[in-house]
Amino acid sequence: MTVEFARGKSYVVDRGKPKTRAGQGMLAGLDVVIRHFFSAFGKKVETQADTSGVFTVQYPEERLELPQAFRNFPILLFDDATGHELCTSCFQCERICPPQVIHMSQATDPVTGKAIPAVKEFVIEYDACMSCGLCAEVCPFDAIKMDHEFELATSDHLSMTVDKAGLDRPISYYQAIAPRFWEEAKDSALKKLAGNMKRRSGNIGITPSFIGKAQKAAPAAAKAVSAATPAVAAKPATPPAPIGKNMSEDKLARLVAIRAANAGGAPAAVAAPVAAAADVDHGGAEVAAPVAAAPVRTAPSGGTSAALSTGVPFNADNILGGVPENTAMVEDKIERLKSIRSGNIGKGE
Amino acid sequence: MPQNSKLIVNAMLKTQELQLNIGPQHPSTHGVFRLIVTVDGETVIDLKPVFGYLHRNHEQLGEVSTYIQSMPFTDRLDYFNSMANNFGLSIAVEKLAGIEVPQRANYIRVLMAELTRILNHAAAVAFMINDMGAWQTPLAYGMREREKILDLFEMASGARMMCNYFRFGGVVRDLPPEFMPQLHDLMRGLPTFFDEFERLLRENEILMLRSQGVGILPKELAASYSVTGPVLRASGIAYDIRKAEPYSVYDELDFDVPIGSVGDVYDRFLIRIEEMRQSYRLVQQIIERLPDTTGGHINPAMANIGKQKALRPPAGDAYGRVESPKGELGFYLVSDGSTRPYRYKVRAPSFINLTPLGDMCRGHKVADVVVILGSIDIVMGEVDR
Amino acid sequence: MPSMSAEELKERLTRDLPGALAPARAKAEHVTNGSAAPQTDPPAKPKKGAEGPVDLLATNDAIVLSERIPDVVRYVRDTLGYTFLTDLTAVDYMADGLIELIYRFLHLDGGPTMAIKTRVPRDRAVVPSITPFWPGADLQEREAYDMYGVDFPGHPNLVRVYMWDEFEGFPMRKDFPRQGDKYIEEEDEA
Repeated sequence: MTVEFARGKSYVVDRGKPKTRAGQGMLAGLDVVIRHFFSAFGKKVETQADTSGVFTVQYPEERLELPQAFRNFPILLFDDATGHELCTSCFQCERICPPQVIHMSQATDPVTGKAIPAVKEFVIEYDACMSCGLCAEVCPFDAIKMDHEFELATSDHLSMTVDKAGLDRPISYYQAIAPRFWEEAKDSALKKLAGNMKRRSGNIGITPSFIGKAQKAAPAAAKAVSAATPAVAAKPATPPAPIGKNMSEDKLARLVAIRAANAGGAPAAVAAPVAAAADVDHGGAEVAAPVAAAPVRTAPSGGTSAALSTGVPFNADNILGGVPENTAMVEDKIERLKSIRSGNIGKGE
Repeated sequence: MPQNSKLIVNAMLKTQELQLNIGPQHPSTHGVFRLIVTVDGETVIDLKPVFGYLHRNHEQLGEVSTYIQSMPFTDRLDYFNSMANNFGLSIAVEKLAGIEVPQRANYIRVLMAELTRILNHAAAVAFMINDMGAWQTPLAYGMREREKILDLFEMASGARMMCNYFRFGGVVRDLPPEFMPQLHDLMRGLPTFFDEFERLLRENEILMLRSQGVGILPKELAASYSVTGPVLRASGIAYDIRKAEPYSVYDELDFDVPIGSVGDVYDRFLIRIEEMRQSYRLVQQIIERLPDTTGGHINPAMANIGKQKALRPPAGDAYGRVESPKGELGFYLVSDGSTRPYRYKVRAPSFINLTPLGDMCRGHKVADVVVILGSIDIVMGEVDR
Repeated sequence: MPSMSAEELKERLTRDLPGALAPARAKAEHVTNGSAAPQTDPPAKPKKGAEGPVDLLATNDAIVLSERIPDVVRYVRDTLGYTFLTDLTAVDYMADGLIELIYRFLHLDGGPTMAIKTRVPRDRAVVPSITPFWPGADLQEREAYDMYGVDFPGHPNLVRVYMWDEFEGFPMRKDFPRQGDKYIEEEDEA
């Protein structure tokens, strides 16, 4: 019985012989299997037209190339040269995320208190993320994009809640994994970034790994940051921020004086903020390194303004380094601060 | 033993009915699905399915999400064929809001839907034969072709299974340039695969003995049980939504609809293989016509995702349905004029196809229950939503 | 391909099954926004560009009295030829105190679907079951019972289908708490 449709018909499927043959059906199947078995020796499947040969990809020694559109988890982008993040905390991705795993807060100008187009904190719960890609689609500033990294299995569940430092990647990284997508988005993204950078003050909007390092040493440091998986992205130690360009004169003088008090004998040149930044950078790098590698230093008796020979703000001997002389801290607060800092150093920050 | 003495022996033996639990954790129940089977010896007397182990309240999630936020959730309904689910929701919302879809977008959509049909039927047949005990061999063959098509989906949409590719008014992005050469390659290899797959399985004596005459759904009852898809067509009713109420560009394409004669498991198996060939025919036609289509990959008025998420369909209701590989997948939406639907209902084919399961299994052996369940081809994501 | 518009269906029902159609609804004095349940986006007043408060109950489809449902369904199947029930949906209109059931049929020769609606009060939602003569409605009526609390006398096995048997409450109703019902503790944050 066939029914005529427009542009086709329906037909009854032929069931074949009602009686089973004595084993010939199974032999026909076995013939198929044996031919495949022998053809699998040495012949690897080359294209999708091949139906015989070794189809298996010996993962992890061999890997297939991922297409550009592949999306796994979101990442945030920052500019290679300046370190400025493209994200302005406009909340569009947070609003559209179906499982609501994106959380962020907007940065405010320290002087005026107004909101500025930069993001203060940004958290994505990777363990609940659906990888749908709607956040990357909606972002008007092309700041959040979908990463290709999928080997993220870990036994540390809490590390699956990733903060901004773990999410940041340089634009060069995204350009390497999805060049065609970045080509389409590049012009408008960089133009919007230039506009947003003008409205950001100080270090707001700069990715944390750039703060404290020389702004010029971008690509190598950026590669190091991008190579780290989010699970092991360590919070960088927070050395004092380099002196920003918007600080007023007396503020600058006060800051330098405080630092001179902390650094003791270190050459805290007043006239060169860049040099001070470099000095602090040295200090920052020292802190990041294990404490055992720190040079020998004289052992002050734990006083607040003990002279240091190395210029290091914190070290195992001078636990209190960094408390300015003219603040009136009560005794127990000083004690608590000591214990916190010794604990931090013990963690090897 | 002659029949009479068997009866006498049975009457003398004190037999009891046993209630078996084919429990939610079972490799052959196609998901977390529980069957409470009452057996007398090995023969099934009664069968009661228990649902709800994968109930994720998808419909209420649809009420608190905007229409576009529901799109990734529809991927997870029939998680085997995410493109078909996306298609269903798109059709329903476009009916509700009156959005036009350009020609090229329609052709891309049908291409994805038919590739989904091929990969679903390959895997469904493979899993059913796996349940029969043909350990993994047909499964490996079916999954190999499925992997090739999943690679194509990954290239176009970004993910293999949870594609999230369709948007209201078209698709999210056009096909990348490397898509068509790989699709051509795949098409060259598919006829060989179909022939090999049939040769491997069709005349196999064990398969024939285990599937012919098992799980018969007679033609007179099939319509009253509301089954759709290959199960309905195997019973002899030639109903296919792509012919009955054509959507998208199915009315411009040529294809046939295979139907069965007996309505048993063997018919459903044969129908799925034939439907794969018909889908292949459809994909060939689409490949020929795709370069000449116009209109872009999405309706320009809805191209920005900002427009998608701010979509406010006028108040009213709409029922949009597609022929998903498992049956009729329908979405019933009631809009109150805001960005979120007032009611979001999914008419899941796997759920309703399970209605005759008890009647189909009665009188068969326990081992046949698994085979019949495999032939209905269910996915628990759809059954429980 | 057979196709029946809502007007034609209503006209045939009035002719062949008098009294089955519900009386025409008096034009509502007030129109509501359908749901008074708290939503995440409380529609206090219509946003710019949106229509005013909408009348969700306005529909073109045939609305049938709930106690006449078995007769109408049989009429649809035997006389009109729509032998396939494809969907049975329940919708909760809490602000109007109604639960609406939609029976959707299709003709096996093709064509668009045809819907019949019935409305029952929320606190006494009873619709005679059609399962005894239409087995395809079995699981769908169970789902309407489980999720909305609609009772179907005559159903051979009206038990819950998704929730466990001892569950109390009807989850898809608009007044079912979205967080913090007695089975899940109130979460501190969203």
